[in-house]
Amino acid sequence: MKFVSHLDMNRFMTRLVNKAKIPIWFTEGFNQHAYFNFAVPLSLGFEGQYEILDLRIIDPAYSNEQLVADLNKESIPDIEFVKANEPVLKMKEIAFAEFKIIFEEVFAEKIERFFAREQIITQKTTKKGGTKDIDIAPLIKKAELSGNELTLILTAGNENNLNPTLVLSTLFELEQFKAEYSVVRTMIYDKKMQPFI
Amino acid sequence: MNEKEFERLLLSVQKPGRYSGGEINSVIKDKSKIDVRFAFCFPDTYEIGMSHLGMKILYSQFNAREDIWCERVFAPWLDFEEVMRKNNIPLFALESRDAIRDFDFIGFTLQYEMCYTNVLNMLDLAGVPLKSADRDESYPLVVAGGPCVCNAEPLADFIDIFFLGEGEEVDLEVIDLYKEHKKNGFNKAEFLKAAAKIEGVYVPSLYEIEYLPDGKIKSITTKDNAPKTVRKRIIADMDNCFYPENFVVPFIQIVHDRAVQEVFRGCIRGCRFCQAGFIYRPVREKSYEVVNHQAKCLCESTGYDEISLSSLSTSDYRELEPLLNNMLEWTEQNHISLALPSLRIDNFSEELLEKIAHVRKSGLTFAPEAGTQRLRDVINKNVTEEEILSTCKTAFEGGYTAVKLYFMMGLPTETDEDLKGIAELGQKIVDMYYSMPNKPKGKSVSVSMSVAVFVPKPFTPFQFEPQITKEEMERKQAYLKSCITTRKIDLSMHDSSTSFLEAVFAKGDRRLGAVLESAYKKGCKFDSWTECFDLQKWNEAFSECGIDPDFYSLRKRDYDEINPWDHLDYAVSKEFLIRENKLAHADTTTPNCREKCSACGANCYGKGVCFERR
Ligand code: SF4
Repeated sequence: MKFVSHLDMNRFMTRLVNKAKIPIWFTEGFNQHAYFNFAVPLSLGFEGQYEILDLRIIDPAYSNEQLVADLNKESIPDIEFVKANEPVLKMKEIAFAEFKIIFEEVFAEKIERFFAREQIITQKTTKKGGTKDIDIAPLIKKAELSGNELTLILTAGNENNLNPTLVLSTLFELEQFKAEYSVVRTMIYDKKMQPFI
Repeated sequence: MNEKEFERLLLSVQKPGRYSGGEINSVIKDKSKIDVRFAFCFPDTYEIGMSHLGMKILYSQFNAREDIWCERVFAPWLDFEEVMRKNNIPLFALESRDAIRDFDFIGFTLQYEMCYTNVLNMLDLAGVPLKSADRDESYPLVVAGGPCVCNAEPLADFIDIFFLGEGEEVDLEVIDLYKEHKKNGFNKAEFLKAAAKIEGVYVPSLYEIEYLPDGKIKSITTKDNAPKTVRKRIIADMDNCFYPENFVVPFIQIVHDRAVQEVFRGCIRGCRFCQAGFIYRPVREKSYEVVNHQAKCLCESTGYDEISLSSLSTSDYRELEPLLNNMLEWTEQNHISLALPSLRIDNFSEELLEKIAHVRKSGLTFAPEAGTQRLRDVINKNVTEEEILSTCKTAFEGGYTAVKLYFMMGLPTETDEDLKGIAELGQKIVDMYYSMPNKPKGKSVSVSMSVAVFVPKPFTPFQFEPQITKEEMERKQAYLKSCITTRKIDLSMHDSSTSFLEAVFAKGDRRLGAVLESAYKKGCKFDSWTECFDLQKWNEAFSECGIDPDFYSLRKRDYDEINPWDHLDYAVSKEFLIRENKLAHADTTTPNCREKCSACGANCYGKGVCFERR
């Protein structure tokens, strides 16, 4: 869902679990609400193909298959639930995310030259609102161009999360060109580059 | 335009979720199986329009019919309008993304006067000529409903059909008539003539207005056998009237982001400044069983975890106690919060009081509207100082430290004494707080008072009254400010330029159509948004059209003057409004509909509060 922000997505899920009558665990206290957690927020404008959602079911008899079926029954066509399983890894073990960048126009030479650099210095806004120079080259695990499709594997998770928008804006700035593109997040990996489950 | 291109444009503006559609419960139909396509337009932003209950009701009701596909359209915000104009994207409906230029109907809901320029802008964005006379059979019919229709004369040149009153029945009757006419070669003029025969349908082009040399109306005459007066429609039986089983649930946050359950229409009170209190008469309630059932369905189908009850004055609902008892049962169980308005709770049982105490309370607010009992009697607002003080006391004892009060300035017969009363009431609340031995410890009190400028409205006893001048308002504002001596009172007085314009259009006539068009062409839109409102442009528009706005808003009107809305019948008679106006000037209140009937005329529908046992 391209036009949905992370906040919107949370609102959507709250309503979806109510509507689908999922026996989900509610937080306690004053403002009780259904508890769930999207592992890695997806930026507005991106599509996601492998998104991870963590939630807790309180009915032991309620199967994972049932959960997926119930959610899909009430969801909208653009948001589909694929699979549910017991958590294998902890959220903090998320290490990388894979993106497909589809360019409308390709500047293969410039793109390849950019990713071949040893150092890619860019400015990142800090939490305090200032900017600081960082080298993003070590955070780019893979960059492979094939036709007009660029596959990027970037560090993800709480620390060192690298947003592809920053990579691309740096690319345009340093290589001095501009191209329209769209972004799909295709996979989320753990440290061993295994699909996160 | 291809999908990719469109998506990219959407991503270039703020809040693309306003334009993308695809929300839960939005209705998609197969075009080939549809006879009538209806573009339901709300002339303001998505967030405001999507919060509006009337739109949700009609959207669901139209779509319950297999032959109709009703889609939603909102006014694009400035940034997206620019993108649309630059890329030649015509105004489209959210569901199908089809241009509404090709629909059968473009329907507007008119909730406030300050949206009129948006109506024009949306027609223009749709690629449709603004004036009804310039649209032949190849264009959609442009229709409008909502409270402003009780005097939408300023829009008379632009709209083909107005619907008076509640739309649930009359809208569908007109659509059915349209289908019939389409079978035998559609002729717009013939259709409009036939539609005018349906009760509640007002076709402005069939009415001719003549003016006197002094600018007042000389006569209103009809053409082609259109009825002399048009009576509003109401739904008499609320228990059996349509109510949506679901709402479209937006992704982006809207103003009222929750399920809304209607409990009754109308208001028994008859506050003399309040248009809604008159044009929705008589009060018609739903039974609590129906309300409870509908509310539950709504929560289930939307997944909302918050629901509120909707009416003009929910504490006047006769079955409030059984309703709350029933609703609290399932809302608590399902973690749904029930938003309660401030209630008169005098005669509730202990048990219910305790239950309500668990429900999250909204802030403590009052609307005394005027500062002295005398002026509250004039406006027939039956809130007393004792009530306010005692409710505040209970609330302070319960831990509240903030209270909000709403007032109006420029009410008929208002003197400086009354303004001083506003400040004094605030001071009394502050003093009471500090005199309480059991006040919340270590906290100071905050009383915020918001004072708006009174706008006289048609179909109220104050329709004859002038609005105050700008100079008078400024003087009054300064005086009121000088009356406030404590920093515990936070006084806010709105910039009132929009109130002045609102008064002009509320009581205006057809000649204002030219001003609207001119202001719109100068770029006026979203006039209810301070960041967009441009008084300068409006003043230019008035002077270019040779129209004096003060003629409409600052003039006291004689009882026998013909008003631009006198051919419209909202079931409250002009005699009643005159009676009420005289009582106001005699500082005399009128009992509410449950205490005593005041013979306003609204009993003509044979239903509602008028027939309750007193
Ligand atoms: S006819 Fe009487 S009871 Fe009915 S709405 Fe009018 S004043 Fe109220």
